[in-house]
Amino acid sequence: MKRHLPVAELARDSRFAHVTMRDRFNDPRSVRPPTEAEGGPGRRNVNRLTPARKDASDAARVLMHGIFVGEIQALEGAGRTCFDFETGDGVDQAPFALKLDMARQCWDEARHCEMSAKLSDWMGTEIGEFAENTVLFEAACSNDPVLRLAGVNRALEGLAIDVFTTMREFGEVATDPVLAFCEDWMLADEVTHVKMGSDWLRRLTEHDPARRAAALEFQRVVDKLFSYGGTRSDSDESPIGLARRFRELAGFTEDEVAEVAELSLSALGEAKERKEQLRREAAEAMLATAQG
Amino acid sequence: MSVTVSPEQFSLVLFESAEIHRVATELLERIGMAEVDLVVDVDETSPLARIEVLYGDPLTVKGDSGSFEDPRHPRHTDADIIATSLGRVLLRARDRASGTFDDAPADMALTLAQSAAWDTYSVGRLTRAGYPTNRQRWLYNYRNRHGFSDVADETFDRLWQADGLSWAELDAASAAAVSATAAAASAR
Repeated sequence: MKRHLPVAELARDSRFAHVTMRDRFNDPRSVRPPTEAEGGPGRRNVNRLTPARKDASDAARVLMHGIFVGEIQALEGAGRTCFDFETGDGVDQAPFALKLDMARQCWDEARHCEMSAKLSDWMGTEIGEFAENTVLFEAACSNDPVLRLAGVNRALEGLAIDVFTTMREFGEVATDPVLAFCEDWMLADEVTHVKMGSDWLRRLTEHDPARRAAALEFQRVVDKLFSYGGTRSDSDESPIGLARRFRELAGFTEDEVAEVAELSLSALGEAKERKEQLRREAAEAMLATAQG
Repeated sequence: MSVTVSPEQFSLVLFESAEIHRVATELLERIGMAEVDLVVDVDETSPLARIEVLYGDPLTVKGDSGSFEDPRHPRHTDADIIATSLGRVLLRARDRASGTFDDAPADMALTLAQSAAWDTYSVGRLTRAGYPTNRQRWLYNYRNRHGFSDVADETFDRLWQADGLSWAELDAASAAAVSATAAAASAR
Protein backbone atom coordinates (compact mmCIF):
# COMPACT_ATOMS: atom_id res chain seq x y z
CA MET A 1 0.00 0.00 0.00
CA LYS A 2 1.18 3.48 -0.89
CA ARG A 3 2.40 5.83 1.84
CA HIS A 4 1.54 9.56 1.94
CA LEU A 5 -1.52 9.40 -0.29
CA PRO A 6 -2.22 12.64 -2.21
CA VAL A 7 -5.70 14.11 -1.89
CA ALA A 8 -6.43 13.44 -5.58
CA GLU A 9 -6.21 9.71 -4.89
CA LEU A 10 -8.83 9.55 -2.16
CA ALA A 11 -11.39 6.85 -2.90
CA ARG A 12 -14.73 8.40 -3.80
CA ASP A 13 -17.56 7.03 -5.94
CA SER A 14 -19.52 8.98 -8.54
CA ARG A 15 -21.93 10.40 -5.97
CA PHE A 16 -19.25 12.76 -4.69
CA ALA A 17 -18.31 16.05 -6.38
CA HIS A 18 -15.15 17.82 -5.29
CA VAL A 19 -14.80 21.57 -4.79
CA THR A 20 -11.48 23.18 -3.98
CA MET A 21 -10.74 25.89 -1.45
CA ARG A 22 -9.69 28.09 -4.37
CA ASP A 23 -13.17 27.70 -5.92
CA ARG A 24 -14.74 28.74 -2.64
CA PHE A 25 -12.52 31.75 -2.17
CA ASN A 26 -13.10 32.80 -5.78
CA ASP A 27 -16.88 32.83 -5.43
CA PRO A 28 -17.61 36.56 -5.60
CA ARG A 29 -21.09 36.26 -4.15
CA SER A 30 -21.66 37.33 -0.59
CA VAL A 31 -24.23 36.54 2.08
CA ARG A 32 -23.67 40.06 3.40
CA PRO A 33 -26.72 42.28 2.84
CA PRO A 34 -26.11 45.77 1.42
CA THR A 35 -25.09 48.33 4.02
CA GLU A 36 -27.09 51.50 4.66
CA ALA A 37 -24.68 53.43 2.42
CA GLU A 38 -25.35 50.92 -0.38
CA GLY A 39 -29.11 51.37 -0.06
CA GLY A 40 -29.68 48.37 2.22
CA PRO A 41 -31.45 48.25 5.56
CA GLY A 42 -28.18 48.62 7.45
CA ARG A 43 -29.06 45.87 9.87
CA ARG A 44 -26.38 43.85 11.59
CA ASN A 45 -25.91 40.63 9.66
CA VAL A 46 -26.82 37.65 11.86
CA ASN A 47 -25.99 34.30 10.30
CA ARG A 48 -25.70 32.06 13.37
CA LEU A 49 -27.35 28.70 12.64
CA THR A 50 -30.48 28.54 14.79
CA PRO A 51 -33.99 27.20 14.06
CA ALA A 52 -35.25 30.80 13.96
CA ARG A 53 -33.55 31.31 10.60
CA LYS A 54 -35.96 31.03 7.68
CA ASP A 55 -33.57 28.71 5.87
CA ALA A 56 -32.75 26.76 9.05
CA SER A 57 -33.64 23.28 7.77
CA ASP A 58 -31.62 23.55 4.58
CA ALA A 59 -28.70 25.28 6.32
CA ALA A 60 -28.62 22.44 8.88
CA ARG A 61 -28.68 19.87 6.06
CA VAL A 62 -25.73 21.53 4.34
CA LEU A 63 -23.75 21.63 7.58
CA MET A 64 -24.62 18.01 8.38
CA HIS A 65 -23.35 16.91 4.97
CA GLY A 66 -20.16 18.90 5.61
CA ILE A 67 -19.78 17.04 8.90
CA PHE A 68 -20.30 13.73 7.10
CA VAL A 69 -17.55 14.29 4.52
CA GLY A 70 -15.35 15.76 7.27
CA GLU A 71 -15.72 12.52 9.25
CA ILE A 72 -14.71 10.48 6.20
CA GLN A 73 -11.58 12.62 5.79
CA ALA A 74 -10.80 12.50 9.51
CA LEU A 75 -10.98 8.70 9.34
CA GLU A 76 -8.69 8.71 6.32
CA GLY A 77 -6.27 11.14 8.02
CA ALA A 78 -6.01 9.24 11.30
CA GLY A 79 -5.66 5.96 9.42
CA ARG A 80 -2.88 7.44 7.33
CA THR A 81 -0.98 8.57 10.43
CA CYS A 82 -1.04 4.97 11.68
CA PHE A 83 0.39 3.74 8.39
CA ASP A 84 2.52 6.49 6.85
CA PHE A 85 5.27 6.51 9.54
CA GLU A 86 7.61 3.86 10.86
CA THR A 87 7.06 3.09 14.53
CA GLY A 88 9.64 4.79 16.73
CA ASP A 89 10.67 7.97 18.53
CA GLY A 90 12.53 9.69 15.65
CA VAL A 91 11.42 12.96 14.07
CA ASP A 92 10.02 11.18 11.00
CA GLN A 93 8.56 8.33 13.07
CA ALA A 94 5.46 7.87 15.23
CA PRO A 95 5.55 6.17 18.65
CA PHE A 96 3.47 3.01 19.00
CA ALA A 97 1.26 4.62 21.68
CA LEU A 98 0.48 7.50 19.30
CA LYS A 99 -0.50 5.04 16.59
CA LEU A 100 -2.73 3.28 19.12
CA ASP A 101 -4.48 6.60 19.83
CA MET A 102 -4.87 7.21 16.10
CA ALA A 103 -6.32 3.70 15.69
CA ARG A 104 -8.83 4.47 18.42
CA GLN A 105 -9.65 7.70 16.63
CA CYS A 106 -10.25 5.75 13.40
CA TRP A 107 -12.77 3.63 15.26
CA ASP A 108 -14.51 6.80 16.51
CA GLU A 109 -14.48 8.45 13.10
CA ALA A 110 -15.88 5.35 11.39
CA ARG A 111 -18.74 5.40 13.89
CA HIS A 112 -19.22 9.13 13.25
CA CYS A 113 -19.38 8.50 9.48
CA GLU A 114 -22.17 6.02 10.05
CA MET A 115 -24.03 8.34 12.43
CA SER A 116 -23.64 11.28 10.06
CA ALA A 117 -24.92 9.27 7.11
CA LYS A 118 -27.96 8.20 9.12
CA LEU A 119 -28.51 11.76 10.36
CA SER A 120 -28.37 12.95 6.76
CA ASP A 121 -31.08 10.40 5.88
CA TRP A 122 -33.14 11.70 8.80
CA MET A 123 -32.79 15.26 7.51
CA GLY A 124 -33.58 14.35 3.91
CA THR A 125 -30.11 14.65 2.42
CA GLU A 126 -28.58 12.25 -0.06
CA ILE A 127 -24.93 11.26 0.13
CA GLY A 128 -23.04 13.56 -2.24
CA GLU A 129 -25.91 16.05 -2.52
CA PHE A 130 -23.47 18.86 -1.74
CA ALA A 131 -19.94 19.40 -3.01
CA GLU A 132 -17.11 17.97 -0.89
CA ASN A 133 -14.23 20.21 0.14
CA THR A 134 -11.19 18.04 0.83
CA VAL A 135 -9.15 20.68 2.64
CA LEU A 136 -9.56 18.68 5.83
CA PHE A 137 -7.58 15.75 4.45
CA GLU A 138 -5.00 18.11 3.01
CA ALA A 139 -4.12 19.16 6.56
CA ALA A 140 -3.39 15.49 7.29
CA CYS A 141 -0.77 15.15 4.56
CA SER A 142 2.27 16.59 6.36
CA ASN A 143 5.50 14.59 6.53
CA ASP A 144 5.83 15.36 10.23
CA PRO A 145 3.38 13.52 12.53
CA VAL A 146 3.49 16.44 14.97
CA LEU A 147 2.25 18.82 12.27
CA ARG A 148 -0.59 16.40 11.54
CA LEU A 149 -1.53 16.42 15.22
CA ALA A 150 -1.48 20.21 15.25
CA GLY A 151 -3.37 20.58 11.97
CA VAL A 152 -5.86 17.75 12.31
CA ASN A 153 -6.37 17.02 16.01
CA ARG A 154 -5.96 20.54 17.32
CA ALA A 155 -7.26 22.70 14.46
CA LEU A 156 -9.66 20.43 12.57
CA GLU A 157 -11.03 18.52 15.55
CA GLY A 158 -11.20 21.84 17.39
CA LEU A 159 -13.44 23.12 14.60
CA ALA A 160 -15.48 19.92 14.98
CA ILE A 161 -16.07 20.83 18.64
CA ASP A 162 -17.46 24.20 17.53
CA VAL A 163 -19.61 22.63 14.81
CA PHE A 164 -21.04 19.86 17.01
CA THR A 165 -21.83 22.33 19.77
CA THR A 166 -23.74 24.52 17.30
CA MET A 167 -25.59 21.53 15.84
CA ARG A 168 -26.42 20.10 19.28
CA GLU A 169 -27.91 23.45 20.32
CA PHE A 170 -29.83 23.57 17.03
CA GLY A 171 -31.29 20.11 17.74
CA GLU A 172 -32.20 21.06 21.31
CA VAL A 173 -34.00 24.26 20.31
CA ALA A 174 -35.81 22.50 17.44
CA THR A 175 -36.67 19.66 19.89
CA ASP A 176 -35.21 17.21 17.39
CA PRO A 177 -34.62 14.16 19.60
CA VAL A 178 -32.26 12.39 17.21
CA LEU A 179 -30.01 15.27 16.16
CA ALA A 180 -29.32 16.64 19.65
CA PHE A 181 -28.60 13.16 21.04
CA CYS A 182 -26.22 12.12 18.24
CA GLU A 183 -24.33 15.42 18.22
CA ASP A 184 -23.77 15.18 21.96
CA TRP A 185 -22.18 11.74 21.63
CA MET A 186 -19.95 12.80 18.77
CA LEU A 187 -18.97 15.97 20.62
CA ALA A 188 -17.69 13.87 23.53
CA ASP A 189 -15.41 11.95 21.15
CA GLU A 190 -14.12 15.14 19.50
CA VAL A 191 -13.08 16.58 22.87
CA THR A 192 -11.04 13.40 23.38
CA HIS A 193 -9.44 13.69 19.94
CA VAL A 194 -8.38 17.29 20.56
CA LYS A 195 -7.04 16.33 23.99
CA MET A 196 -5.00 13.53 22.38
CA GLY A 197 -3.58 16.07 19.92
CA SER A 198 -2.73 18.55 22.69
CA ASP A 199 -1.08 15.88 24.85
CA TRP A 200 0.98 14.35 22.03
CA LEU A 201 2.02 17.73 20.69
CA ARG A 202 3.43 18.68 24.08
CA ARG A 203 5.03 15.28 24.66
CA LEU A 204 6.72 14.94 21.27
CA THR A 205 8.10 18.47 21.25
CA GLU A 206 9.05 18.67 24.90
CA HIS A 207 12.77 18.96 24.07
CA ASP A 208 12.40 20.45 20.60
CA PRO A 209 11.11 24.05 20.79
CA ALA A 210 11.68 24.67 17.06
CA ARG A 211 9.50 21.70 16.13
CA ARG A 212 6.83 22.84 18.57
CA ALA A 213 6.90 26.36 17.13
CA ALA A 214 6.57 24.98 13.58
CA ALA A 215 3.64 22.79 14.64
CA LEU A 216 1.84 25.68 16.35
CA GLU A 217 2.43 27.89 13.33
CA PHE A 218 0.96 25.18 11.09
CA GLN A 219 -2.01 24.97 13.45
CA ARG A 220 -2.55 28.72 13.13
CA VAL A 221 -2.56 28.48 9.34
CA VAL A 222 -4.99 25.56 9.38
CA ASP A 223 -7.18 27.27 11.97
CA LYS A 224 -7.50 30.29 9.76
CA LEU A 225 -8.21 28.15 6.72
CA PHE A 226 -10.77 26.13 8.66
CA SER A 227 -12.51 29.30 9.69
CA TYR A 228 -13.70 29.04 6.09
CA GLY A 229 -13.53 32.74 5.43
CA GLY A 230 -15.51 33.54 8.55
CA THR A 231 -17.82 30.54 8.86
CA ARG A 232 -16.71 30.02 12.47
CA SER A 233 -16.11 32.86 14.92
CA ASP A 234 -17.48 34.58 18.01
CA SER A 235 -19.35 37.02 15.75
CA ASP A 236 -23.07 36.46 15.05
CA GLU A 237 -22.14 36.95 11.40
CA SER A 238 -20.62 33.45 11.48
CA PRO A 239 -22.99 30.45 11.34
CA ILE A 240 -20.83 28.49 13.78
CA GLY A 241 -19.81 29.84 17.18
CA LEU A 242 -16.61 29.18 19.10
CA ALA A 243 -17.19 26.54 21.82
CA ARG A 244 -14.82 27.99 24.40
CA ARG A 245 -15.70 25.70 27.31
CA PHE A 246 -15.29 22.46 25.36
CA ARG A 247 -12.00 23.71 23.91
CA GLU A 248 -10.72 24.25 27.44
CA LEU A 249 -11.80 20.73 28.35
CA ALA A 250 -9.84 19.52 25.32
CA GLY A 251 -6.59 20.99 26.58
CA PHE A 252 -6.58 24.45 25.01
CA THR A 253 -5.25 27.16 27.32
CA GLU A 254 -7.20 30.41 27.72
CA ASP A 255 -4.61 32.19 25.55
CA GLU A 256 -4.90 29.56 22.84
CA VAL A 257 -8.69 29.90 22.73
CA ALA A 258 -8.32 33.67 22.53
CA GLU A 259 -5.88 33.25 19.66
CA VAL A 260 -8.31 31.03 17.70
CA ALA A 261 -11.05 33.60 18.33
CA GLU A 262 -8.85 36.39 17.00
CA LEU A 263 -7.79 34.37 13.94
CA SER A 264 -11.40 33.51 13.14
CA LEU A 265 -12.52 37.13 13.33
CA SER A 266 -9.65 38.17 11.14
CA ALA A 267 -10.62 35.45 8.59
CA LEU A 268 -14.17 36.85 8.61
CA GLY A 269 -12.89 40.36 7.89
CA GLU A 270 -10.59 39.17 5.13
CA ALA A 271 -13.38 37.15 3.51
CA LYS A 272 -15.60 40.24 3.38
CA GLU A 273 -12.83 42.31 1.77
CA ARG A 274 -12.02 39.55 -0.72
CA LYS A 275 -15.65 39.24 -1.83
CA GLU A 276 -15.95 42.99 -2.26
CA GLN A 277 -12.88 42.95 -4.48
CA LEU A 278 -14.20 40.05 -6.58
CA ARG A 279 -17.53 41.79 -7.02
CA ARG A 280 -15.85 45.01 -8.10
CA GLU A 281 -13.78 43.06 -10.63
CA ALA A 282 -16.87 41.28 -11.99
CA ALA A 283 -18.76 44.57 -12.29
CA GLU A 284 -15.83 46.15 -14.16
CA ALA A 285 -15.58 43.14 -16.49
CA MET A 286 -19.32 43.30 -17.16
CA LEU A 287 -19.12 47.02 -17.91
CA ALA A 288 -16.19 46.47 -20.26
CA THR A 289 -18.16 43.76 -22.12
CA ALA A 290 -21.24 45.99 -22.37
CA GLN A 291 -19.15 48.83 -23.78
CA GLY A 292 -17.78 46.48 -26.41
CA MET B 1 -47.67 32.98 -22.02
CA SER B 2 -44.35 34.81 -21.93
CA VAL B 3 -41.29 34.14 -19.78
CA THR B 4 -38.54 36.71 -19.27
CA VAL B 5 -35.35 36.00 -17.37
CA SER B 6 -33.26 38.79 -15.90
CA PRO B 7 -30.37 39.33 -16.26
CA GLU B 8 -29.88 37.93 -19.73
CA GLN B 9 -26.16 37.48 -19.03
CA PHE B 10 -24.64 36.58 -15.69
CA SER B 11 -21.24 37.75 -14.50
CA LEU B 12 -20.87 36.34 -10.94
CA VAL B 13 -22.35 32.89 -11.61
CA LEU B 14 -22.14 30.50 -14.56
CA PHE B 15 -25.90 30.47 -15.21
CA GLU B 16 -27.53 30.36 -18.65
CA SER B 17 -30.70 32.43 -18.79
CA ALA B 18 -31.92 30.18 -21.64
CA GLU B 19 -31.86 27.20 -19.26
CA ILE B 20 -33.95 29.02 -16.65
CA HIS B 21 -36.32 30.15 -19.43
CA ARG B 22 -36.73 26.58 -20.72
CA VAL B 23 -37.41 25.10 -17.28
CA ALA B 24 -39.84 27.91 -16.33
CA THR B 25 -41.79 27.57 -19.60
CA GLU B 26 -42.19 23.82 -19.19
CA LEU B 27 -43.11 24.22 -15.52
CA LEU B 28 -45.89 26.71 -16.23
CA GLU B 29 -47.42 24.23 -18.68
CA ARG B 30 -47.10 21.26 -16.33
CA ILE B 31 -48.73 22.99 -13.36
CA GLY B 32 -51.59 24.48 -15.35
CA MET B 33 -50.37 28.08 -15.48
CA ALA B 34 -49.71 28.23 -19.21
CA GLU B 35 -51.59 31.52 -19.58
CA VAL B 36 -49.36 33.36 -17.07
CA ASP B 37 -46.75 35.97 -18.07
CA LEU B 38 -43.73 35.45 -15.86
CA VAL B 39 -40.58 37.41 -15.08
CA VAL B 40 -37.77 35.56 -13.29
CA ASP B 41 -35.42 38.05 -11.68
CA VAL B 42 -32.21 36.43 -10.39
CA ASP B 43 -30.01 38.22 -7.82
CA GLU B 44 -26.63 36.79 -8.74
CA THR B 45 -24.83 38.72 -6.01
CA SER B 46 -26.31 36.48 -3.30
CA PRO B 47 -25.57 32.75 -2.89
CA LEU B 48 -28.56 32.40 -0.54
CA ALA B 49 -31.75 30.66 -1.62
CA ARG B 50 -34.40 33.25 -0.79
CA ILE B 51 -37.22 33.41 -3.31
CA GLU B 52 -40.39 35.50 -3.40
CA VAL B 53 -43.27 36.39 -5.69
CA LEU B 54 -44.35 39.90 -6.59
CA TYR B 55 -48.03 39.46 -7.42
CA GLY B 56 -49.13 41.40 -10.49
CA ASP B 57 -49.19 41.16 -14.24
CA PRO B 58 -46.70 39.91 -15.20
CA LEU B 59 -46.06 37.71 -12.20
CA THR B 60 -42.50 38.33 -10.99
CA VAL B 61 -40.38 35.81 -9.10
CA LYS B 62 -37.31 37.30 -7.44
CA GLY B 63 -34.75 34.75 -6.33
CA ASP B 64 -31.19 34.66 -4.99
CA SER B 65 -28.82 32.67 -7.18
CA GLY B 66 -28.78 29.90 -4.56
CA SER B 67 -32.43 29.13 -5.44
CA PHE B 68 -31.37 27.86 -8.84
CA GLU B 69 -27.94 26.48 -8.03
CA ASP B 70 -26.63 22.93 -8.20
CA PRO B 71 -25.21 22.30 -4.71
CA ARG B 72 -22.78 19.76 -6.14
CA HIS B 73 -21.41 22.30 -8.61
CA PRO B 74 -21.49 25.76 -7.06
CA ARG B 75 -22.30 28.68 -9.39
CA HIS B 76 -23.95 26.34 -11.95
CA THR B 77 -27.69 25.79 -12.35
CA ASP B 78 -29.62 22.57 -11.83
CA ALA B 79 -32.86 22.09 -13.79
CA ASP B 80 -34.67 20.16 -11.05
CA ILE B 81 -33.75 22.75 -8.45
CA ILE B 82 -34.91 25.59 -10.71
CA ALA B 83 -38.23 23.75 -11.17
CA THR B 84 -38.71 23.06 -7.46
CA SER B 85 -37.84 26.61 -6.39
CA LEU B 86 -40.03 28.25 -9.01
CA GLY B 87 -42.80 25.65 -8.70
CA ARG B 88 -43.07 26.14 -4.95
CA VAL B 89 -43.78 29.86 -5.24
CA LEU B 90 -45.77 29.66 -8.48
CA LEU B 91 -48.18 27.16 -6.95
CA ARG B 92 -48.55 29.54 -4.03
CA ALA B 93 -49.47 32.27 -6.55
CA ARG B 94 -51.92 29.90 -8.23
CA ASP B 95 -53.53 29.16 -4.84
CA ARG B 96 -53.89 32.86 -4.12
CA ALA B 97 -55.53 33.41 -7.50
CA SER B 98 -58.01 30.55 -6.91
CA GLY B 99 -60.21 32.55 -4.52
CA THR B 100 -59.92 29.97 -1.74
CA PHE B 101 -56.81 31.58 -0.24
CA ASP B 102 -58.13 35.14 -0.01
CA ASP B 103 -57.92 35.06 3.77
CA ALA B 104 -54.27 33.94 3.80
CA PRO B 105 -51.81 36.47 5.28
CA ALA B 106 -49.36 38.17 2.91
CA ASP B 107 -46.27 36.04 2.24
CA MET B 108 -44.10 38.15 4.53
CA ALA B 109 -46.67 37.80 7.33
CA LEU B 110 -46.83 34.01 7.25
CA THR B 111 -45.42 32.27 10.31
CA LEU B 112 -42.57 29.81 9.79
CA ALA B 113 -45.05 26.98 10.49
CA GLN B 114 -47.63 28.27 7.97
CA SER B 115 -44.93 28.75 5.39
CA ALA B 116 -43.63 25.19 5.92
CA ALA B 117 -47.17 23.83 5.64
CA TRP B 118 -47.76 25.67 2.36
CA ASP B 119 -44.40 24.48 1.01
CA THR B 120 -45.39 20.91 1.88
CA TYR B 121 -48.67 21.30 0.01
CA SER B 122 -46.87 22.81 -3.01
CA VAL B 123 -43.97 20.35 -3.20
CA GLY B 124 -46.39 17.41 -2.86
CA ARG B 125 -48.18 18.69 -5.97
CA LEU B 126 -44.90 19.24 -7.81
CA THR B 127 -43.99 15.64 -7.08
CA ARG B 128 -47.23 14.47 -8.65
CA ALA B 129 -46.53 16.77 -11.62
CA GLY B 130 -43.48 14.59 -12.26
CA TYR B 131 -40.67 16.62 -10.66
CA PRO B 132 -38.15 14.67 -8.54
CA THR B 133 -38.27 15.82 -4.92
CA ASN B 134 -37.00 14.39 -1.64
CA ARG B 135 -40.02 13.85 0.63
CA GLN B 136 -37.84 13.38 3.71
CA ARG B 137 -36.25 16.81 3.19
CA TRP B 138 -39.65 18.49 3.31
CA LEU B 139 -40.78 16.32 6.23
CA TYR B 140 -37.69 17.44 8.15
CA ASN B 141 -38.49 21.08 7.39
CA TYR B 142 -42.11 20.51 8.46
CA ARG B 143 -41.02 18.84 11.70
CA ASN B 144 -38.65 21.71 12.51
CA ARG B 145 -41.62 24.06 12.34
CA HIS B 146 -44.35 21.85 13.81
CA GLY B 147 -42.46 19.61 16.20
CA PHE B 148 -41.20 16.07 16.02
CA SER B 149 -44.48 14.32 16.81
CA ASP B 150 -46.94 11.81 15.38
CA VAL B 151 -49.53 14.57 14.89
CA ALA B 152 -47.02 16.62 12.90
CA ASP B 153 -46.18 13.62 10.71
CA GLU B 154 -49.85 12.84 10.16
CA THR B 155 -50.71 16.41 9.10
CA PHE B 156 -47.62 16.46 6.87
CA ASP B 157 -48.90 13.37 5.04
CA ARG B 158 -52.29 14.96 4.58
CA LEU B 159 -50.86 18.18 3.13
CA TRP B 160 -48.34 16.33 0.94
CA GLN B 161 -51.09 14.24 -0.68
CA ALA B 162 -53.69 17.00 -0.92
CA ASP B 163 -55.09 18.85 -3.90
CA GLY B 164 -57.64 21.65 -3.98
CA LEU B 165 -57.17 22.76 -0.36
CA SER B 166 -58.38 26.11 0.93
CA TRP B 167 -56.31 28.36 3.18
CA ALA B 168 -58.61 27.52 6.11
CA GLU B 169 -57.95 23.80 5.67
CA LEU B 170 -54.20 24.25 5.26
CA ASP B 171 -53.93 26.57 8.24
CA ALA B 172 -56.06 24.28 10.41
CA ALA B 173 -53.77 21.31 9.71
CA SER B 174 -50.70 23.38 10.57
CA ALA B 175 -52.28 24.80 13.73
CA ALA B 176 -53.34 21.33 14.89
CA ALA B 177 -49.76 20.09 14.67
CA VAL B 178 -48.35 23.14 16.45
CA SER B 179 -50.82 22.87 19.32
CA ALA B 180 -50.34 19.12 19.69
CA THR B 181 -46.59 19.65 20.02
CA ALA B 182 -47.08 22.49 22.50
CA ALA B 183 -49.45 20.33 24.56
CA ALA B 184 -46.96 17.45 24.59
CA ALA B 185 -44.17 19.83 25.66
CA SER B 186 -46.16 21.26 28.55
CA ALA B 187 -47.18 17.75 29.66
CA ARG B 188 -43.46 16.89 29.90
